[in-house]
Amino acid sequence: MRWLALTLAGPMIWAAAFTLVYGMHGVLCAGVAGPEGLSLTARLVLIASWALGLAAFVPLFMALREGDALTDRLPRYGTWIGLVATIYTLFPTAIATSC
Amino acid sequence: MSDTTYAATEEGSATAVDIARNPAQRALPLHRELSRVWANDKGLWGQITAVSHTTLGLRFMATAFVFFAIGGILSMLIRAQLATHDGAFLDTEIYNQIFTMHGSIMMFLFAIPMLEGLAIWLLPKLLGTRDMAFPRLTSLGYWCYLFGGLIMLTALLFGVAPRDGWFMYTPLSSAAHSPGINADVWLLGVTFVEISAIAAAVEITVTILRQRAPGMKLTQMPLFAWYMLGTSAMMLVGFPPLIAGSILLELERAFDWPFFDIARGGDPLLWQHLFWLFGHPEVYIIFLPAAGAMSMIIPVMCRTKILGYGAIVAAVLGLVFLSFGLWVHHMFTVGIPHMALAFFSAASVLVAVPTAVQVFAWIGTMWKGQPQLHLPMYHILGFFLTFVMGGLTGVMLAIVPFNWQAHDTAFVTAHLHYVLIGGFVFPMMAAVTYWMPLITGRSRIKGLGETAFWVIVIGFHGTFFIMHLTGLLGMPRRIDVYPDNPEWIWLNLTSSVFSFVLTIGFAMFALDLLLQITLGKREKRDPWAAPTLDWAMPMPSPNYNYASLPTLRHLDRPARDVIMPLARGEGALPGAPRGRRELLVTRAIGAEPDHVAILPGNTALPLVLAASICAFVLLMLASLYLVAAFALIPVAAFIWLWGRGMSPVGDLSPVEIAPGTILPVHHRAKQSLGQSGLVALLVADGTLFGSLIFGLAFLSVVTQGPAAGIAGAENFATLVGIGIIAALLVIAAWAARGMTRMAAMIGVAVNLAAILVLIWLKWTQMDDPTGHARDALRAVVAGYVALHIIVATGLAAFVANQHARGEIDQVTRGAHPAWRAWQGFTAATALLAMVILLAQAFA
Repeated sequence: MRWLALTLAGPMIWAAAFTLVYGMHGVLCAGVAGPEGLSLTARLVLIASWALGLAAFVPLFMALREGDALTDRLPRYGTWIGLVATIYTLFPTAIATSC
Repeated sequence: MSDTTYAATEEGSATAVDIARNPAQRALPLHRELSRVWANDKGLWGQITAVSHTTLGLRFMATAFVFFAIGGILSMLIRAQLATHDGAFLDTEIYNQIFTMHGSIMMFLFAIPMLEGLAIWLLPKLLGTRDMAFPRLTSLGYWCYLFGGLIMLTALLFGVAPRDGWFMYTPLSSAAHSPGINADVWLLGVTFVEISAIAAAVEITVTILRQRAPGMKLTQMPLFAWYMLGTSAMMLVGFPPLIAGSILLELERAFDWPFFDIARGGDPLLWQHLFWLFGHPEVYIIFLPAAGAMSMIIPVMCRTKILGYGAIVAAVLGLVFLSFGLWVHHMFTVGIPHMALAFFSAASVLVAVPTAVQVFAWIGTMWKGQPQLHLPMYHILGFFLTFVMGGLTGVMLAIVPFNWQAHDTAFVTAHLHYVLIGGFVFPMMAAVTYWMPLITGRSRIKGLGETAFWVIVIGFHGTFFIMHLTGLLGMPRRIDVYPDNPEWIWLNLTSSVFSFVLTIGFAMFALDLLLQITLGKREKRDPWAAPTLDWAMPMPSPNYNYASLPTLRHLDRPARDVIMPLARGEGALPGAPRGRRELLVTRAIGAEPDHVAILPGNTALPLVLAASICAFVLLMLASLYLVAAFALIPVAAFIWLWGRGMSPVGDLSPVEIAPGTILPVHHRAKQSLGQSGLVALLVADGTLFGSLIFGLAFLSVVTQGPAAGIAGAENFATLVGIGIIAALLVIAAWAARGMTRMAAMIGVAVNLAAILVLIWLKWTQMDDPTGHARDALRAVVAGYVALHIIVATGLAAFVANQHARGEIDQVTRGAHPAWRAWQGFTAATALLAMVILLAQAFA
């Protein structure tokens, strides 16, 4: 079961990071009406939330095993899928979004 | 068997996967012995009582094909209407019903059941087992599908079919704007059919994880199984939001609970979120099995092995997750926050990457192999041509500014047909033509199939490629008449002409199959010289698939090399010497042999249960809600009988599956198929609960409607009531840990007490659910908890009854694990719901 958990962990972190950033965006934009941009502090909080999601991949990469067998490679694939998805989909969300 | 052997298994020691060879027997007596046990009963009664995956899988596919034909005829009516700008062929009311039913039939009555049917028929053969994990559930799923589909078709015949589009947007589908039962037919009919989808998802998951041939590790199983594992996981998580949405909308229509009414704190966007939380993953739920079939067929057609097995598995993993992060791209024009546009646009583009990985792997496989242009390969080439174009227009629609321009135009209609016909229908035609020899035992009559393919390709692209242009020129979808615009008229007429060509092609395809079934010559075994187990059996395949089950030594070998050893009983669990349906259950990751499951035989119980659920649905449609509540009594009674059929009675002694390998039967196994199935069901159930909580959060945080009134939770009596229910459910969960009759009796009493307190709270303390959407959702969450406590009471009573009958002891645990798991889940969700409701009240 550890193998299965490691394989699924990357995409799960992506889902969790999305929830965190989306939630923070809602909190930071509460009470802000109109299309104006976020304050600098709010932007930094949003970026920090994204960075927290990215940081969660560090222990995950450390837990991965080396080896060429498919059982070793699949958790690596899963982790990379999660990392790329977290970088790519949350980049515009954290950096360029407004309320 | 000795007690020592049994105890060793109970403690979880893995049995070696390298099982000894059974002595060879004469094949014919083995076949007769198995046929006596596994065959369907004779005649019409035999069809009604059949639970075999072979019979039911084919029946699912045949029924789906009939619905495909009906949906196709409806599309002809649509195109006839649109052939001219002022078509008088259909009036607006009938046109609306027809396009709604066309979409609904194709999605819910053709595509999903077709993939379920293929999986049910094929998976046991590919994995080296004799049936799906829960044969009666397969049968129940089929009858629910058939009855639900017939309800929708009957409504069409009587002119009361759904008419609000296949995604049933509110407020168009709300009672004020859609009076009559039309929308109810959709909500109740589709939900009824979805019982079939959830049932299939549960058993597909369990079959793949627990019934692979000994030694067939997850990382070695055929790619189709990987795809179906991803699909079933998506179905378990994807369908509950739609079920939740359908329940809410039906409650609004029937009882005026205002979930989607802005004036009373509701929001139509909640429906869109719940629908597309299902609706977008649905596209991949349909695509993945088709891609799985192609991953099986392409290497065989190209005389090579698949390129990039690991990359394809990773792509499946990526698609399963990423497809749940796209749903809002269907809602780009509704005025959602900029942040959501950014995220969902990026995710919609990103999902093209794992899709492309698969396409390149298939192309690479063809490149390194020696492609042979048999009929299945024609349809695979049709897939490449069509699906890749549909995928590219999907990337175009993922870009927000373009989406704003093309939204709700014929361009989107063209895109979705390229994706669905390219990504599902062509691969399914490839799959059917590939596996037809195994289905019928007959070979094809050459010529007609190839002609049908070309007519379909020409008809399809003639119809839908042009529709891109129609959409880009601004023509909206779902209109029955349009302005006398010269740019639109010739395009529409051309689409209509080619759509009839397309229909002729599908008719020729059907005729080709019919000719093969009736006039085809007897086909030799393993006609494609395939490397997979599905061809290592007699043709047509018998209900039991294998006279003996494949083991490690039979894997990774050409089918022709293992046909005879398996037919002679040299594999595991040969024949049916105990006169019952047995199969081997293995462990989830490594496929070590675990125990022997005894499956139920032919029975009409699934039909009777489905008919009783159908009666409930029809009474709801007739607005006889009180009578409908009473109709649940026979449903509960038949479920009880269902459970009795699984009771541990008869010979429970262990079984020697091969020399030196003795395994317990499932009644005495540590982790039975039933327990695995319950875990899968609870995943879906938990998602349903999560969908309701999402709705509550959405209405509380996002919706701009009037504020909710005082929730009533802050008064002392309510707090005491909630506290008592929490305490009672914790006690019930604790009681479920005991393996005694007294514990089960306590469970019954405590659950009953919790229900009584909940009823008291509902009638004396909770606000009127028709007043405000949040009050309505609170009432639904309370109803969810109440329903789970009622089921927990029934399970506890069932366990108490098994104790009274002497069917349960410390080793034979009967329904006790199911009660324990359900009771724990009920307590957890109820406590979570209470915390959320209280937090909301005091916020």
